[in-house]
Amino acid sequence: MEALLANYVEKSLKQYMRRNAIFLCERLYAEFPSEVNLQLLARCYLNNNQPHSAYHVLKGMQMAQSRYLFAVACLEMDLFSEAETALLPIEELCAHVTNGAAVQYLLGIIHRDTNRMKSSVEHFRKALSIDPLFWAAYEELCILGEAEEAAVCFGDVAIHYVQEHYLGNASSYLQIANSDQSLDSSQAFGLEDLSLSHLQQMEGNNIRNICLNNHGGPNLTGPVGQITNSCCNSSFFRTPSPVLTQLSDMAPPPLIRNIRFCQNEVSLRSSTQARREFVRENESAQIRGSLFFDSGRRRSARLAAAQRSFNSTQGSENKANNLRASIKLNSGTCYSTVCKGQFQNLEEAFRATSSSLSSSADVKSVQDETVNTQLRSFISNSSKIKSGISDTINLLRILGEGYRHLCEYRCQEALNVYQKLSSKQYNTGWVLSQVGKAYFELVDYLNADYAFSLARQISPYNLEGMDVYSTVLYLMKEDMKLKYLAQELISIDRFAPQAWCAIGNCYSFQKDHETALKSFQRAVQLNSRFPYAHTLSGHENVIIEDYGNAVECYQKALHVDARHYKSWYGLGMIYLRQEKIEFAEHHFRQAYRINPFSSVIMYYLGTTLEALKRSEEALVMMEKAIVTDNKNPLPKYSKANMLVTLGRLNEALEILEELKECYPRESSIYALMGEIYKQHKKYDKSMLHFGIALDLKPSIVDVAKIQAAIGKLILPDEIEDNL
Amino acid sequence: MATESLELEEEGKIIGGNQHLIVDDDLREMGKKAAWSVSSCKTGNGVSSLRDDNLENYWQSDGAQPHLVNIQFQKKVKLQLVVLYMDFKLDESYTPSKISIRAGDGFHNLKEIKTVELVKPTGWIYLSLSGNDPRETFVNTFMLQIAVLSNHLNGRDTHVRQIKVYGPRPNPIPHQPFQFTSREFITYSTVR
Repeated sequence: MEALLANYVEKSLKQYMRRNAIFLCERLYAEFPSEVNLQLLARCYLNNNQPHSAYHVLKGMQMAQSRYLFAVACLEMDLFSEAETALLPIEELCAHVTNGAAVQYLLGIIHRDTNRMKSSVEHFRKALSIDPLFWAAYEELCILGEAEEAAVCFGDVAIHYVQEHYLGNASSYLQIANSDQSLDSSQAFGLEDLSLSHLQQMEGNNIRNICLNNHGGPNLTGPVGQITNSCCNSSFFRTPSPVLTQLSDMAPPPLIRNIRFCQNEVSLRSSTQARREFVRENESAQIRGSLFFDSGRRRSARLAAAQRSFNSTQGSENKANNLRASIKLNSGTCYSTVCKGQFQNLEEAFRATSSSLSSSADVKSVQDETVNTQLRSFISNSSKIKSGISDTINLLRILGEGYRHLCEYRCQEALNVYQKLSSKQYNTGWVLSQVGKAYFELVDYLNADYAFSLARQISPYNLEGMDVYSTVLYLMKEDMKLKYLAQELISIDRFAPQAWCAIGNCYSFQKDHETALKSFQRAVQLNSRFPYAHTLSGHENVIIEDYGNAVECYQKALHVDARHYKSWYGLGMIYLRQEKIEFAEHHFRQAYRINPFSSVIMYYLGTTLEALKRSEEALVMMEKAIVTDNKNPLPKYSKANMLVTLGRLNEALEILEELKECYPRESSIYALMGEIYKQHKKYDKSMLHFGIALDLKPSIVDVAKIQAAIGKLILPDEIEDNL
Repeated sequence: MATESLELEEEGKIIGGNQHLIVDDDLREMGKKAAWSVSSCKTGNGVSSLRDDNLENYWQSDGAQPHLVNIQFQKKVKLQLVVLYMDFKLDESYTPSKISIRAGDGFHNLKEIKTVELVKPTGWIYLSLSGNDPRETFVNTFMLQIAVLSNHLNGRDTHVRQIKVYGPRPNPIPHQPFQFTSREFITYSTVR
């Protein structure tokens, strides 16, 4: 009865019948109170977004898997210390029994959220070294600014590592297959359940199976419940991080193909699975946890998402084409997604079904045959596996390199790297969002707009990066597009901070700063670890001149992500306005340190240095800004201004003449030229330029200034006349 | 002398008032940074009614004329516009008829910069502080004093419903000699 119930619970979970699963699991646990069943119950709760229930159920449990699930539940509830204590004792044992990389990753997240950056980095690095395909860990490292080159992390070493593990375990599987010959011929029929089940397992915590294999032998004969417990991880259905949805296009589990039953059906299964996942994501209106996610979920979601994004890129083609294409992709790449114990799992799954279904003797001969064919196919596939692994890692390398460049604001390099991707991969939401962000940082708003709108066409449900898109539209003053974007985003997901950021930008554009601020605060409420919402709140506060609150907002943003250079910039601007120039300099320098490629930051740093009377350094900085971005007129203007103060009037004039050619309607150029000519005592030229400056409708203050300057011009004229 | 009184008369009659408060985007309200005080008030109708954006309640003075509203800043600010809301239909004899605006460093050296005569004002009254000289677009001062010298129908006390003080927006980019006007310059001037 226990086996039956456990199996049924698993099935319900896979079919997303959560209430069914929870109820039955509770009955199961009541009848057979074992820790393994408790884990299953916890998984049901985590699946149903009840981390508190899972927390209470697993509190105090000592089995490695229980501790892992407990830590997952704690992180969902932001209980960092408890999560850490659950994961820490015998961390190494954790690495063996459960999923080593995932544990390290979770520890990394905990440390990062409790401000222990260095140890956080170490944990992420360990996670990556245990499992080179753990993209999430690499991503976190990039965000913290501590990532090594992608070529190192996703290099040949990684390829060999993964290949060895993969093939090594596969051969052990073969031995087991040979000796036991328990492969159920039900693989030929009853495929529905089976393919679903092992798909589930596959898309479950794949990596965990790596370690599971070490104990593969004894586990084989365990009860179904235990196997499924140890194989699969819970919460496959948790709303994955938006980042995941754009992750690399990893092919659906090719293992199925390896084992050679109904390929088509299985691929179909995987795509329907993926689609179901997709639909579920859309339905889930839960407030998203920030960056924490169970690695297994991530991986599963990643695979599903990969399939989904893959499907979406081929949206117009019909399903048959999709399948064919997906099978082709299978053959080419990504066997590595399966990783070690896939075979192991499959084996166990077969056993599970075989123990629950009755297998007859006639079937046995069929089994023998199938085993042999499988062995043969396996051997021929191992070379494909190797190439698949190296292809995957190469893909990850390109993506990682691009991501790292973008995180360190080397936007042009990031763009170049992303160009190396195949067009299939490039035309996905995630990559195009990244491209858009790169253009945004380069102040190339047209291209950014183009990239983002393409991203929206391809994956309209993907909200990651859409906050940046709304800012682009705001800066381009594209009112209609901005409003439309905000509407769309809110209709897709009312609880996404990005949607509220877009709305805030809308209101800000219409000068309704109070409401804009409220919207940004809403985004903060939804996800307090979303730094951009804090930064935008800060910007709004500055506009309404509430500098106290602005400083607080920026500091909150920096608390979440110390590499958010816009917040450093914001603080610098406030201090500059309040004439606290040394503070301003410090903050602009920090911003410059993080993003040394932004001409705007350099310009402000130069301005601050000039205010501190460090003119040479200021000039150097302005030169750098001019060199970095030739299209930025401000450093040139500022340089001209500085030259005027230093008395180098002719050089200043040269620069201003150039600027005048490019920007003939900029009043301040003429005003400054007027000043220079006045100093040169060329009064008529000065008068001319002041006149033009006035015609170009400057602000009231400047009108007053210029008119005053004109007034002073006339006096010397009169004096000359009188002489 | 004669020319002076002529100027005074010319400077001043404002008839009626404006329904809406419309101010240039170039200007921003400076009152939040100032300390407001009045020469006298009736309990319940104090100085806060002048600043609460509520046109229903008003400040009512309770003493001898002239009634004074003092606006003191922590540092010298440029001011360009004073806007008052009054309603003759509601306040009748409490409505001010002659207003003098003075500026200076403090109570000891206030100098009159503007005088106006109001005739049955109902709504927002705009009093520009600019002089004729382009150099005098703004008044750069520590303190502004609005004095109600007399009321309609010779009323003793006065009602004022709202007062706003405007000055120019500072350069969004600090430490630049002139503000930027063209789109390209403005695009590159902020990080968002």
